[in-house]
Amino acid sequence: MTTKYAETEPRQDAVKHVGRPVDRVDGRAKTTGEARYAAEHRYPGMAHAALVHATVARGRIEAVDTEAARAVPGVIEVLTHENAPAMKPAPKTSLMNLSSLASGTTVSYLATDEVHWNGQPVAVVVAETPETARHAASLVRVAYRELPAVVDFAAEEPNASPQKSSVLQPAGGDKGDAVAALAAAPVSVDLRFTTPPEHHNAMEPHATIAVWDGDRLTVHEGTQNIAWLRAHLAQRFGIPERAVRVLSPYVGGGFGGKGFVWAGTLLAVLAARATARPVRLALTREGVYRTVGGRTPTVQRVALGADGDGDLTALIHTSVAMTARIGGMPEGVVSSSRHLYDAATIHLRQRLVRLDLLANTAMRAPGDSVGSFALESAMDELACELGIDPIELRRRNEPERNPMDGKRFTHRMLREAYEVGAERFGWRERDPRPGSMRDGRWLVGMGVATAYHPSLTMPADVTVRLAADGAVVVRCALQEIGVGAATVQAQITADELGVPLEAVRVEIGDSELPAGPGAGGSAQTAGAAAGVLDACRKLKESALALARRAPDSPLRGRRLDDLEARDGGLYHGGRGETYAAILARAGRDHLEAGGGTGMLKFLAKTLNERRRWVKAASGAHFCEVRVDRDTGEVRVSRWLGMFDVGRVINAKTAAGQLRGGIVMGIGMALTEATQVDPRTGRIMNPSLSEYHVPVHADIPRIDVHWLDEPDPTMPLGLLGIGEVGITGVAAAVANAVRHATGKRVLDLPITLDKLL
Amino acid sequence: MDFLRPTTWEEALAAKADRPEAVPIQGGTDVMVELNFDVRRPAALLDLGQVAELRAWGMVGGFCRVGAGVPYTTIIEELGGPLPGLAQASRTVGSPQIRNRGSVGGNLGAASPAGDSHPPLLAADAVVEVESRDRGVRMVPATAFYLGVKRSALEPDELIRAVHVRPATGPQYFSKVGTRNAMVIAVCSFAIALHPGERRVGTGLGSAAPTPRRAYEAEELLARELDWQAPLDPALLRRFGELCAAAAAPIDDVRGTAAYRVHAIGVMARRTLTWAWNDHLGRRAA
Repeated sequence: MTTKYAETEPRQDAVKHVGRPVDRVDGRAKTTGEARYAAEHRYPGMAHAALVHATVARGRIEAVDTEAARAVPGVIEVLTHENAPAMKPAPKTSLMNLSSLASGTTVSYLATDEVHWNGQPVAVVVAETPETARHAASLVRVAYRELPAVVDFAAEEPNASPQKSSVLQPAGGDKGDAVAALAAAPVSVDLRFTTPPEHHNAMEPHATIAVWDGDRLTVHEGTQNIAWLRAHLAQRFGIPERAVRVLSPYVGGGFGGKGFVWAGTLLAVLAARATARPVRLALTREGVYRTVGGRTPTVQRVALGADGDGDLTALIHTSVAMTARIGGMPEGVVSSSRHLYDAATIHLRQRLVRLDLLANTAMRAPGDSVGSFALESAMDELACELGIDPIELRRRNEPERNPMDGKRFTHRMLREAYEVGAERFGWRERDPRPGSMRDGRWLVGMGVATAYHPSLTMPADVTVRLAADGAVVVRCALQEIGVGAATVQAQITADELGVPLEAVRVEIGDSELPAGPGAGGSAQTAGAAAGVLDACRKLKESALALARRAPDSPLRGRRLDDLEARDGGLYHGGRGETYAAILARAGRDHLEAGGGTGMLKFLAKTLNERRRWVKAASGAHFCEVRVDRDTGEVRVSRWLGMFDVGRVINAKTAAGQLRGGIVMGIGMALTEATQVDPRTGRIMNPSLSEYHVPVHADIPRIDVHWLDEPDPTMPLGLLGIGEVGITGVAAAVANAVRHATGKRVLDLPITLDKLL
Repeated sequence: MDFLRPTTWEEALAAKADRPEAVPIQGGTDVMVELNFDVRRPAALLDLGQVAELRAWGMVGGFCRVGAGVPYTTIIEELGGPLPGLAQASRTVGSPQIRNRGSVGGNLGAASPAGDSHPPLLAADAVVEVESRDRGVRMVPATAFYLGVKRSALEPDELIRAVHVRPATGPQYFSKVGTRNAMVIAVCSFAIALHPGERRVGTGLGSAAPTPRRAYEAEELLARELDWQAPLDPALLRRFGELCAAAAAPIDDVRGTAAYRVHAIGVMARRTLTWAWNDHLGRRAA
């Protein structure tokens, strides 16, 4: 037995780092408080800013009275549209310049008397202390001439207009005549779902420190996109990009909320310029709600038709979501329905209403997280109608090729995910009759739903430097939003170069570094990995070239593809030499190489791939709930997620991300909703005491597993994992609640009163 | 804003008498939130954190006298035997950090209809000891203490010294429904206390009316019709639940609808009485 074990365990796996549950390189700094987040930096003479928020949804400012605020000792300046220096307007968006997408809204803050949403900053107070600034901000009096505003999503929904398609995001589509097929289907469901607006609630509220030195600007901010932030600030303040430095080594959570540039950032920079002082603007939690967009609300219809065996004959998925008059990204709400089921006919439409609210923005799995709630709830309801097990219904309708257009999947293992997951979860214990499983006063329910999120890569420039003493430095302006960005790239580098993990240091979070991809779209790790692989290969080629010049090198005459990088050098079988030896002989103290793809080449490659392939991370959620039969309290009692996310680089951080997505999805299912006053457009619960994210006591043990099969088209075979975890979660909960109680809840969140 | 920091009870009473507008602060779990959100700006804060007497409890005249500053954690750890209802309610408050800081005195001072300690205090006939420098001690029954939303019988020159509760002579239970499992204000709550010696059952409703309140008609029903030797009559249990629900006068708010609250009060009333009755019969049998 011992011998056999040794044979099946390749020797090099003992030293490979990819795949292992490596501790985060910055774990200690974060847990001990050594890690300094944006708001924690200090500059001599630093002043503090606070915002004054508009209290009407739409209107013109008629007068601003700043006298009382200015009279407060310690107040340095009160900036309003009457005295603030001008910023350039936000750029027109263009796919040729992706950083043009960075703008959270199109508003030129403090350059206009126009108010576009209830909460828009209309003045900024700069003072010696944060408390003084906040107090003085409360004394600014603004008189408005109110204009009619459209703020009630539910009331406006019938007036929605069709969403435009883009190259990257089709807004609809048809395959056959789904309307006729639905009408003719022997079995069908036709359901209307709603999901509320939500907010990210990253633990770190947004904060900016802006420091001007002449026409050079330094900004400390936790951002998900250093390159976009830098380009956007340069454009708005009329300085070259090279004059802007963005420092963002740690980001206390993002979830999409720090992917774009919002008012607080711009106003901190503006205030610093106006006062010639370093300025810190740390938003309160309420300030985040008032000035940083959240997830769009949706209304969705999913209608499914099937024959008696459960083969789908019709799939209709339509949605209404919002954007704001002043910006906001239209979401791909029905996107999952393009890919999940092999329906004979499909009809997809997305429509939009435009409201006088703060612009919506990306929030973890935009489109797919809300769309999957509707689609996967409807599939479950169809399974109930048909009397078929919901996993079996999905298995019968699992497509061989992408249902809308017949493109091939690079990789798809949903059948396996369900099969293995069902076994581990104990799905066969489930009695399909609703309300049949009891535990005392608790009704027990089990539900499943599919997770699905498209996979992208974004280009990254990376340099790798290897010194004669063995130290390796990888440089790339990545964003560490909690995912282990530096850790996973160190693992990849250590394996590629064959050096110890401890020898690799990854420098991230600084715009002076080679440009990284943004931390969004679950695309950062793959993009950076492509750059690291490229740079490591070039570096090894340089090392080999040096070695081959020496007559006595054992690597003489060898090609890189024949060699193995291990033990700090390059080897062919037992023969080879260390990088240190190669460098010493050549009299060099280091080697350095750069990797990455230019944007044009990258876009060409991406568009070419999209013509041929569909690729995605996916998975199967298994959820058990207990519902109190008398009070309607829902407790999630067990969870298992079985994912197909390609190759996993770090088992620990990957599990953390997938679990985090599930926790956030449980919040979406049961408690989270941003309450917007339909009369005034003002958010009514802008705090963690009134907006309820799950607490520890709401979350059971969450088992996450993955199939660990590499995707052949992705760097190292990895698929991004930041977002797939949340998709399908709300549906799995709703389906388990349906099983426990017989009640189908169509409106999120599933609150107590909906179960009575 | 003045910050007054008495170190003895006498100093505290003097400070309150001289500055009746001063807002007492104990653990700060309510007051600091209001200050942070600029809900109010009192002219003075009266910090009771240095007044050691407030943090002690003891037996006085057959009652458990719990100092106004005794934190929930202490109630949970030390008073679960004599005051089981209050201890159960204390366990559901906030988070460990909040239970280390928050106190029953603070809960009474804030007089929020959603305060977790009110229902068990009502069910157990608690009496609130208040005092002023110039007029001395008043003993205010909990039933007379709550006057309206966040309004109490406390006079401007008075401070809450302690709450007096007779050690339990029968089973007590507390039940609460929230939108999540911790760190949340109750959607509604209910407490019950059996007083077998008096053949009487006490009740307390939380978050179900402008003030915490008792369900008097439900209590009278049980006093009249409950057979203390026999298993619970299901019809009586149902009527008890209905009368408790009828005692509620809730509102719709972001946490729940009025209709839900009325329903849930009925459920919790039946449920807690059943639990208590099982204990009662079990104890008698033992």
